[in-house]
Amino acid sequence: MSAPLLRVEDLHVWFDLAEGGELHAVQGVGLSLEPGERLGLVGESGCGKTTTALAIMGLLPPSASVSGRVLIDGTDILSGGEAAMRPHRWVDVAIVFQGAMNALNPVRTIGEQIVESLELHNRARGTAARSRTAELLEAVGIPAGRAARYPHELSGGMRQRAAIAMALSCDPRVLIADEPTTALDVMVQAQILELLDALCRDFGLALVLVTHDLPVVAQLCDRCAVMYAGEIVERGPLDLLYHSPGHPYSRMLFAASPDLAGLDEPVLSIPGAPPRLDRPIDGCPFRPRCDSAFAACVERPSLQEVAEDHAAACHLNDRVPA
Amino acid sequence: MRGIDYVLKRIGFAVVTIFVAVTINFVLFRLAPGSAVTNLSRVPHATQQLRHALEVQFGLDKSKGEQYVIYLKQLLHGNLGVSFEYEQPVSKELRIALINTLPMVTLGTLFSILIGTLTGVIAAWRRGTPVEALTVSSALGFYSMPTQWLGLMLIIIFSGVLPTGGMTNEFLLNPGFWQHLKDLASHIVLPSLTLGLVLYGEYTLIVRSAMLETLGEDYILTARAKGLKPWTIVRKHALRNAMLPITTLVALSLGYIVAGAILIEIVFSWPGIGRAVYEAVLQRDYPMLQGAFLLLTISVVICNLIADLLYFKLDPRITE
Repeated sequence: MSAPLLRVEDLHVWFDLAEGGELHAVQGVGLSLEPGERLGLVGESGCGKTTTALAIMGLLPPSASVSGRVLIDGTDILSGGEAAMRPHRWVDVAIVFQGAMNALNPVRTIGEQIVESLELHNRARGTAARSRTAELLEAVGIPAGRAARYPHELSGGMRQRAAIAMALSCDPRVLIADEPTTALDVMVQAQILELLDALCRDFGLALVLVTHDLPVVAQLCDRCAVMYAGEIVERGPLDLLYHSPGHPYSRMLFAASPDLAGLDEPVLSIPGAPPRLDRPIDGCPFRPRCDSAFAACVERPSLQEVAEDHAAACHLNDRVPA
Repeated sequence: MRGIDYVLKRIGFAVVTIFVAVTINFVLFRLAPGSAVTNLSRVPHATQQLRHALEVQFGLDKSKGEQYVIYLKQLLHGNLGVSFEYEQPVSKELRIALINTLPMVTLGTLFSILIGTLTGVIAAWRRGTPVEALTVSSALGFYSMPTQWLGLMLIIIFSGVLPTGGMTNEFLLNPGFWQHLKDLASHIVLPSLTLGLVLYGEYTLIVRSAMLETLGEDYILTARAKGLKPWTIVRKHALRNAMLPITTLVALSLGYIVAGAILIEIVFSWPGIGRAVYEAVLQRDYPMLQGAFLLLTISVVICNLIADLLYFKLDPRITE
């Protein structure tokens, strides 16, 4: 069996805290992604989803220590350090950040910024790079003439399109989109999602969509991984997670999303707050907020297959079916 | 086309500022106690006639309004009046002092800007390392040293190696061009170095904090994600943005070059404009002071104008 396109194994991230101690932000995350697959990485703020995305590209600040493996076609790209990681960036994995305003350099034109990545990775130079930039901009729905514009001269949606064009410039195989539609208004959000959908189809891109917005995942992704307190608590095909969730947190998360809960059902909220990650977690991290917690939950559950291609970390699944 | 309006507006502002400053300059010295006449007629048996003759000669019999108009007219002709002390045109005295000052202060200021920017960038880039601790603490150290004390220390250290006072060797009779240049260069080292050392710390600290702020921006993360090398990121993405606030500071300090450096010029007996101002204060040489103030005002206003235009060129976001 061939190795998957992207595989993350037992990824841990600790941040050194200024006041001493460490914050265990990502606790043993494992993921795998096949070519063209679209994975939604969801969870509430602070659950470690963005940290996971940044760790895959080796972009965490020096205050973070990372362990685990990130494999592209079976080769570990994390182990060689920053210099070994650099040629993989933008070529194998590219990223689109949330709120394109600050993701683009305000004093350089969007054309210059796209040309820069083309020239850096020897895709094209000079005139060829400029005409490739024009093509890329057209592909994301920006008139090619806007290449000479500065980021502040474009609307929020246009800036996000430009950021996507830049991410596509070196034909990456995996695109990470970190909250790509946050801070955009609803109409523009829908356009950007359609664009991502079409681009993934046309370019055969594998997508990791990091978001707290479940309807966005429903619209774009076929698989979903739910993160809670730094770990993946459930992963599998999206419709399986929606219709037969294997973890109470996933069930409650879907029920808390107004667009997915159904019109006549009340929108639920999950009481309580996630556990602090700067101290060891005792038992199941979701136990204090869980409506189905029972005696076994004092033991921390691990991610187990509950059905084919569907895994969850919950003791409710331990009961052997009669 | 973007900018014509902006440039014209800025130039307009600069002209108005200079005009207002000239007016304040005029009023300031009319408010000063005494006049040229009370000073000059302080001789035994000065008669009322002498006093009056002097008043007519200096135009002091005319009203303040008339005097102001005459002052403006003479300014436009480049006439700054006559120095009480040297009995020479102020413009000539100022020109000599300025020519002496400019090379020394320019050299020191450029030194401070270059070294300050470099160490500031390095400190930000190497944040949290001993390199940062070293650059920041030495910058703070030199920044807080009294200028005259540092000058004296350099004199103690380098006396015998480098000349410690004056601009040229008085005993070098009829030097050739290269000989003269070499002589001048050796005299300029210590005063320029003193100035450069006391000024560079401020640049280090400001450049460092501007760089740190810029390096925390999202587009720096984007640049890293694109696979750019750290030094390329500093050069192409961080420095340009961080230079925006620094430009103003640099332009302003260039404006003050014509003010000379009073303390340094006194410690090193440099016959520059700072010392000329100091002596003019002691001698109550009002025309000389008035001329020096005017020169400083115009220079600061022009450098500010240049900073505005440069800022406009560097930052595409500025439209008005």
